[in-house]
Amino acid sequence: MLRATGLTYTYPGAARPALEDVSLQVAPQRLLGLLGPNGAGKSTLMALLTGLIPPATGAVHWRGEPLDFRAGRPRRVALAPQQDAFYPMLSVADNLACFAAAAGLSGAVSRQRRERALELTRLQDWCGRRAGQLSGGLKRRLNLAIALLQAPAVLLLDEPTAGVDPQSRAFLRQVLRSLVDEGLALVVSSHLMGEIEALADDVLILDRGRVLRSAPLAELLADQQRRLTLDLAAADLPAALALLAAHGQARPLDATRVELLLADHSRAAQVLGALDAAGLVLRGAEFGRTRLESTFMALTDEALRDEA
Amino acid sequence: MRPDAPADAPAGGMQRLRRAGVVLTGLMRKELLALSRDLHGLAALFLMPLMFIVLMSLALQNLWEPPRPPARYALIDGDGQGPARALAQRWQARHGAAQPLPADWRDALREGRLGYVLELRRGFSAGITELVDASSAAPAPTVLLHAEPGLDAAILLVTRAELERMVGGLRALAMVSELAPSALGSVSPDGVSAMIATERVAARVQPNAVQHNVPAWLVFGMFFVVAALGSLFVEERRCGALARLRGMGVGPGLLLAGKALPYLGVNLLQAALMLAVGLWLMPLLGSPGLSLRGVDPLALGAVLLAISAAAVGLGLALASLMRSSAQALAIGPLVNVLMAGAGGIMVPTFVMPAPMQALAHASPMNWALEALLTVLLRGGSLAQVQAQLWPLLGLAVVALAVAAWGLNHRSPLE
Repeated sequence: MLRATGLTYTYPGAARPALEDVSLQVAPQRLLGLLGPNGAGKSTLMALLTGLIPPATGAVHWRGEPLDFRAGRPRRVALAPQQDAFYPMLSVADNLACFAAAAGLSGAVSRQRRERALELTRLQDWCGRRAGQLSGGLKRRLNLAIALLQAPAVLLLDEPTAGVDPQSRAFLRQVLRSLVDEGLALVVSSHLMGEIEALADDVLILDRGRVLRSAPLAELLADQQRRLTLDLAAADLPAALALLAAHGQARPLDATRVELLLADHSRAAQVLGALDAAGLVLRGAEFGRTRLESTFMALTDEALRDEA
Repeated sequence: MRPDAPADAPAGGMQRLRRAGVVLTGLMRKELLALSRDLHGLAALFLMPLMFIVLMSLALQNLWEPPRPPARYALIDGDGQGPARALAQRWQARHGAAQPLPADWRDALREGRLGYVLELRRGFSAGITELVDASSAAPAPTVLLHAEPGLDAAILLVTRAELERMVGGLRALAMVSELAPSALGSVSPDGVSAMIATERVAARVQPNAVQHNVPAWLVFGMFFVVAALGSLFVEERRCGALARLRGMGVGPGLLLAGKALPYLGVNLLQAALMLAVGLWLMPLLGSPGLSLRGVDPLALGAVLLAISAAAVGLGLALASLMRSSAQALAIGPLVNVLMAGAGGIMVPTFVMPAPMQALAHASPMNWALEALLTVLLRGGSLAQVQAQLWPLLGLAVVALAVAAWGLNHRSPLE
C-alpha cells in the first residue's frame, strides 16, 4: 500500500501552496484516478510521490516504511510524465537501453525488462525507428514502456492518453488495466472523465491544491443516481425552484436548467407530477445517469478557469 | 509487468558502485549517440575549426613573414647619372624588373594596376655626397615614392626604410670613393645588412600562420562543446527526460559525469584531428606544416585536458542555468565568440592595441591559447605552463560547482 499523508508544497516565490495537506492511498491491484482542473496540483502531487521535489510537510510510505528517494537507490514508484520524456533523436531501442541503464539494469535483467516493456506496449516493430518520428499514440506507448522498465510497485501516469486517437486510447486503457491485474498500484491523472470512469477503482478530486473528494468510484457515482436535471422555460424557473425546494436541494444550472438532488431517489416521478400540476411546462428531463463529470463539475464549480 | 521484489533489497557498497558504473555507462552512451545524430553539433565541433585552420592559415600566411613591397612597380629615372642608375639597378636586383612606365602612371597607381612608382629626380646624383648643414633648410626631395591608395601602411614604411638604406649605402660608397678611391672596388654595397643578424631566442620551430592558427582554432573548437552540451541539456529539461532520470534515482554527480566524460573524449578527438590537419594537410595545400619538434607530450596532454575540463565545466554550468532552447542557442555561441574575439583567437593579441591586450588576458580562451603556444611554439614543459594551467583548472572547478548547484537547487520540473 502506498500511503501519502499531509503533503504540502509551495513553489519558490509562489503566493499560495501548489498542494496543501493532501493525503491519499493506493493499494496493489487498484487504480486511483486523479481528477482536477488545470493548476489543481496533479503534476506536483506526482512529482512529490516520485521524490522529484521534497514536500514541505507530510510523508510518503510504502508498506509502512518511508520511501527512500536518495540518489542511487532503486525506486518503487515510477512516473510516466505528461510530456514525451525521452530522446527524440534516439531510436526506440536506444531510448529503452538508456533508461534501463539509468535504472541500474544491466545484462540479462535489462534485456528481459526491455523485451517485456516492448511486448506490453506492442512496440517491437518500432525498435529501430527514431522516437521523434513516431506518431502521437506510439510516443505515449514509448513513454509508458520506459516507466515499466523499473518494474515498479506503483506506477504514476500523468495524462497517459493525451493527444492520441481513439484506437490508441483504447489500447492504452487495456494495457493499464492488465498492469493492475498483474498486481501494480496505478495512479492515473486525466482530464477525460470517461477514461477515469472506465478505468478507476478509486477517485481523488483535487482543486487548487486541496482534496475535494476521495472515494471509491462506485460511491461517487451513487450520488448521481439521486440527481434530476430539468429543462424549463426561462420564465418558469423561479416558480420551479420554489416548488422543488420541498423535494431536495435545488440549484439553477443556467437560464433554463435546474438541478435537483433528491432527498429520496424514488420521488422523481412525484416531482414531475408536482411540476405538471403547477402548470410549469417541462421541456426535458435527465435522471439516473451516472456521470462522473457531473460530480467533478459540481465539486470544482463550472466557472471557466483563466488562472495562469 | 510484475514488480520485482529483488529491486527492493537495500544495496550494499559494491552493489551501489556497480550500479553507478552501469548508470554512468548508459548516460555516456546516450550522450554520444545524441551527439552522433546532431549534424549541426558535429559540424560545429569538428568541421568548423578545421575549416578555420585551413582558411585562416592560408589567409594569414604572410602575417609572420616580413612585409614585402608589391611586385608591380615602375621606375622614373629623371636624373640619369651614375648614382641614380646604380640605385635603380640595385632596387631591381632585389625586387625584380620594373614594369614599363605607362603614360598614365598616376591613373595606374590610383586604380591599383601598379603598387608604387619610384621616381629619381634630377639632382639626385649631385646631391648624394652633399652634406647638409643642420641649421639650413632641407633640400627639395629627389627620391619620391608614389604609392597606390590601398598599399598597406606597414609595407609602405618597409619600402621607404629599404630605400633609405640603399640611398645611405650609395652615399657612403660615394664618400669612400672620394676619400680612398683605391678601396672602392672591394666595398660591398650590402655591408651594413651583413653586420646585422636576427634570432628568435629559444624558438624550436619557426613561427608561422599554421603554428598560430592550429592552437587558436583548436581552442575555439574545444570550447564549442559549451554550445553542444547546452542545447541537449536544455532539451532534456524541457521534454522531461531529466526529471525522469532524476525520478529513477540518478543523482547530480552521475548526471554531470555522464555528460562531462563523453565531451572530454570529444575534445581529445578534436585535438587529434586539428593537430593532424596542421601536420599533414596544410603542407599539401602549400602552407608550412605544424611542427611538433621538441614538444613535451606530457605538457601537451596536461594542457589539452585542462582546456577540455574548463570548456566542459563552462558548458555544464551555463546549461544548468539556462531555461530555454532559445537561450541555449543564443548564449552558448555568443559566449564562445566573445571569448574568442577578446582572447586572441580570431586575431593574434600582438596586433591588438594595449587595452585590448589587457582584456585578452581575462578570456579563458586566451589562457588556453597561451598554454598551447607555450607548449607548441616555445617548447614549454609542464612546469612552464602552470601559470596558464591553474586558471583553467580553477575555472573548471568553479564551473562544475555551479553546475552541481544548478542541478541540486533547480526543480527538474522547471
